[in-house]
Amino acid sequence: MSVRPVSVVLLALGVLLLAACHPAGDDEGRMRASDLLGGEPDAGFARAREPRPFRFPADHGPHPDYQTEWWYLTGNLSDTEGGRYGFQVTFFRFALAPEVADDAPWRTRDVWMAHVALTDTRNARHHAAERFARGAAGLAGARAAPLAVWLDDWRFTADPDHPGRWRLALDAGDFALSLALTPKKPVVLQGEHGLSQKSAEPGNASYYYSLTRIAATGELRIGDRPAVVDGLAWLDREWSTSALAADQAGWDWFALQLDDGRELMYYRLRLADGGTDPASAGSLVAPDGRYRTLSAGAVRLEPLRHWQTWDGRRYPVEWRLHLQPGDETWRIRPVLDDQEMDLSVRYWEGAVDVLDAAGREIGRGYVELAGYD
Amino acid sequence: MLAGRRFLLAHRWQTLLAILGVALGVAIVVAVDLANSSARHAFEASMDAVGGRASHHIVGSPTGLPGETYTALRRELGISRAAPVVDGLAVLGDETVQLIGIDPFAEAAFRPALAGSRQADLNTFLTGPGALLAARTAARLGLTPGDTVTVAVQGLPRELRLTGTLTGDADVDGLLWVDVATAQALLARGNRLDRIDLRIDDAATLARLRDWLPAGLRLVPAEARGNAQREMTRAFEINLSAMSLLAVVVGGFLIYNTMTFSVLRRRPVLGIYRMLGVERRQIVRVILLETGLLAVVGILLGLVLGVVLAEVLLGLVVQTINDLYFQLTLGEVRTSPASLATGAGLGLMAALAAGLPAALEAGRTAPITTQRRSELESGIAGRLPRLGAGGLLLIGIGYAAAHYPSRALLPGFAALFLVILGAALIAPALLQLVTRLTGPLLDRLLPGIGHLAARDTGAGLSRTGVAVAALGIAVSATIGVGLMTGSFRISVSSWLDQTLQGDMYVTAPAGASARAGGTLPPALVAALRDLPGIASASSGRSITLDADFGPVETLVIDMAPESYRGFRLLTEADGGAWAAFDTGQAVLVSEPLAYHRQLAAGDTLHLHTEQGPAAFRVAGIFQDYGSDRGMLVMRRGLYDARWDDPGIGTVGLYLEATADLEAVAEQVRARLAEYPDQALLRLTREIRERSLAIFDRTFAVTDVLRLLVIGIAFVGILSALLAMQLERRRDHATLRALGVTPWELWRLVALQAGLIAVSALLVAAPLGLAMSQLLIDVINLRAFGWRLHLSLDPAVFAEATLLALAAALLASIAPAWRIARTPPAEALREE
Repeated sequence: MSVRPVSVVLLALGVLLLAACHPAGDDEGRMRASDLLGGEPDAGFARAREPRPFRFPADHGPHPDYQTEWWYLTGNLSDTEGGRYGFQVTFFRFALAPEVADDAPWRTRDVWMAHVALTDTRNARHHAAERFARGAAGLAGARAAPLAVWLDDWRFTADPDHPGRWRLALDAGDFALSLALTPKKPVVLQGEHGLSQKSAEPGNASYYYSLTRIAATGELRIGDRPAVVDGLAWLDREWSTSALAADQAGWDWFALQLDDGRELMYYRLRLADGGTDPASAGSLVAPDGRYRTLSAGAVRLEPLRHWQTWDGRRYPVEWRLHLQPGDETWRIRPVLDDQEMDLSVRYWEGAVDVLDAAGREIGRGYVELAGYD
Repeated sequence: MLAGRRFLLAHRWQTLLAILGVALGVAIVVAVDLANSSARHAFEASMDAVGGRASHHIVGSPTGLPGETYTALRRELGISRAAPVVDGLAVLGDETVQLIGIDPFAEAAFRPALAGSRQADLNTFLTGPGALLAARTAARLGLTPGDTVTVAVQGLPRELRLTGTLTGDADVDGLLWVDVATAQALLARGNRLDRIDLRIDDAATLARLRDWLPAGLRLVPAEARGNAQREMTRAFEINLSAMSLLAVVVGGFLIYNTMTFSVLRRRPVLGIYRMLGVERRQIVRVILLETGLLAVVGILLGLVLGVVLAEVLLGLVVQTINDLYFQLTLGEVRTSPASLATGAGLGLMAALAAGLPAALEAGRTAPITTQRRSELESGIAGRLPRLGAGGLLLIGIGYAAAHYPSRALLPGFAALFLVILGAALIAPALLQLVTRLTGPLLDRLLPGIGHLAARDTGAGLSRTGVAVAALGIAVSATIGVGLMTGSFRISVSSWLDQTLQGDMYVTAPAGASARAGGTLPPALVAALRDLPGIASASSGRSITLDADFGPVETLVIDMAPESYRGFRLLTEADGGAWAAFDTGQAVLVSEPLAYHRQLAAGDTLHLHTEQGPAAFRVAGIFQDYGSDRGMLVMRRGLYDARWDDPGIGTVGLYLEATADLEAVAEQVRARLAEYPDQALLRLTREIRERSLAIFDRTFAVTDVLRLLVIGIAFVGILSALLAMQLERRRDHATLRALGVTPWELWRLVALQAGLIAVSALLVAAPLGLAMSQLLIDVINLRAFGWRLHLSLDPAVFAEATLLALAAALLASIAPAWRIARTPPAEALREE
């Protein structure tokens, strides 16, 4: 992780984009998700050093002064016939340089990457796709008001007909998703009023907020099978310039929505030596939207089961989670083991069930496992 | 077989010359084919690399299409297997290369060849701005990744960073890859693309796309692209191939000569074989086998020579393609087995065909002791009338075939070859006639020797006749091609005089696009018109438009009053060409375009305009040698109404009668100095010279081939004379013994050579004339669509005469030297 994150991405992308029919399994040019956030920051970019005032809807839009930014939507959906689905739609923005050489209309300062995935529980299939685009010529970009984040025809936008509602629409060929999203709780500012420290070093932080309970309704298509669905979604927003420290190997991120109306977000930053970075943190949101932040000690995680990819990567897919306030113990179980995002950046991101000590399902959520070899 | 080998070894000079003949013939065929196929391969590789795996393209007007179309395609239509391409020209070092702007994020489906770029630093590529080059190009220019590459676009120098080199299928010379934004900036395209590549395989999406496409944009299948360019060079390739075939034919005569000679010398032995019970068929087979062996040695040598020669030709071929057709860069010959096989096959066929008469002759040997050579010669003499009649028949058929209404090039060449073959058959009879007629005359000029020379030459028809045929054909090629190029040059020159009506021209540097010429700064154009001393100005814009039949070069012109004189109209539509051109929706069409597309004045053609297809009337057809694919001329006003492209590429300046050319030129130069590298001043005289220089360069390949054919003919005469001298050794020795000096003997040999040369000229002059006429009226018309006026340049004939005589005299030196060196007693003793 000594390489500048964006150049790592670009090196990977460069090889991948230019090399179209890359046989799967050739790992050259692929990377771990954690590589995206490490390395030396470019001096020309702003860094997250101290809390800042958040203003909405402006902050739903882009923050070009920072090198890296994402809009991260995940959720669990059900159809009318008992089918169950998980979805992930992420728009990443990577700035190549603080400034560009000329004002050619197609000259880009940002590279955009979108990752989309749909987990089809009934058929035990995980579908994933990715796209890249320059942040120029209208091919990809973001704006605050009215909200629009897009890459090609994959888009996350304000619904012009329904104020306060968003639309998510994408067609990845093999599968498609179209949802109306209505936030049901106010914004949760993660960390210290939105400043999410990722290591002890100042500046190794991001600005981070979440919308933890969003009602989602709409339809999806897998192959040529359509389904009408509804469920709950979660939006994570983060922007930063080099957030991870050199001794950090990756992270495990949990976003859980409980049937009792609470949500828990917790990320564990793993150190290269296997330990947990004290900067690990989270938040617990009450049914009424009030929330409290959680420090590294408030949540204890214990992997219960590992799942191994065809090429030997091991992801801890099943967990026991102990929440100190309230002394609760949950089991986090994936709806499908193979929810690996086997794309140019490799990580595991999947829908999970939350079970109580008695094994009853008490909630659903999403887990992200990054930085595993 | 043994006897044969002994013979061939004993007469090694004869054998070597035959081998050399085959070798040269094969070498030329191989070289031309290799040069052609290498050029074609380079073109295809570059088409593949640039075109990638696209199934379709969206194309617009000559200036491309709006970038928004691409964005809409992805965002509104959801078509993601689409990639934008900006395609232009840049000068790298002293080479013009194709500058291709791509979007690396859209490339995955299209140009996997670019995958070779493993070290591509995408960040620099996008923002640097960076560039990718083929590994071979980078190596040739001494560049490594990280280096700064300076390119000139429209004359302006720009710096790029080399971010990587391409290997594998992407290692295609002459392509400079940059980000689409970089290309737009370098080529000053604004937010425009040259095309959008698509990979779509389902009809429904295609139909949806067609419905959606804005007016003026078209969806074309990928195969269609490149066909036009492929077609462009086809005629040029066929012409070269035909020239190389001529070389094989001339080389075949050498084989014929050697094998006939060999059979003649071995008649006694063959007679004995026959007596011993060897069958006729076996003897024929043995002789053919010998011929085959000779041919194989010659072919092997020819293949090696051909590869070497191909290097030379390739440069000339590529130069011509660059001058006349499109940008092509390639450094090396690609040795294709097919080319080698073609050369070898043709060589073997020609050799066996040439050896067949000798083999049949050998088979006819009666199973008795000795036969006299004179019997053979009298046999040949007896056959002369039949040969001559056959020759005349072939010429007749050839002529008839040539004038059979057709537009195909190959039958034209076939007809030409029939005429040449016919002339070759007449050659021996002609030689006989010459020796009979000149015998008494020579005897009077050179008592004793002169008579001998004529008699010898006439009596050795089996060989001398062939020498005359070979030399005759070679020289006729000189005359034919010489007269054709001469006529061509005169036609072009007078056309230039007419076309270049202006006193001077200001032009933009070579365009940044293959489809649209460069443009001048508008302010400069305005300033030029206002200069004192300028009576009027015309302006032009070169652009490639799309007609229903494919792309067509177009000159958009804003005429000055004087400009009208610049067109020599061949036919006009009813009511006059200019009336229609100046006011109506009408265009002028050049003669080649009219020929290729079978357009007549008054016809209608369809062009794809920015508002969709539109019909244009052909107001008239004008003479033009500027483009062999043809050209369209359109009035500026008409163009502006249909295309949004106000650019001007050339301004023609017409001076006031009293103005001083140099003074005005100085003022123009001062104006141009305000726009460094963006405009060039060319005086009419300079353009004329430059155009003719390019014209001459175009025929450089032809000249090289012509000289090579002559070279083979020279070997032919040498071989014939050597054979004659060998046979006459005893006679010459007797002469020497009788007191004839070596000098006198040389004169005898030289005289014989001279007779061959004169006879060859008698064949060559009419044949050359006929060839030039066929080349002009049939080949040039069918290949290029233009008509030339045959002008008989006496210099061409004089040159041919000199060439024939010089070849003959040179060829006589070695045999004469041999005779002179051999002590008469030894030569007499030998038999």
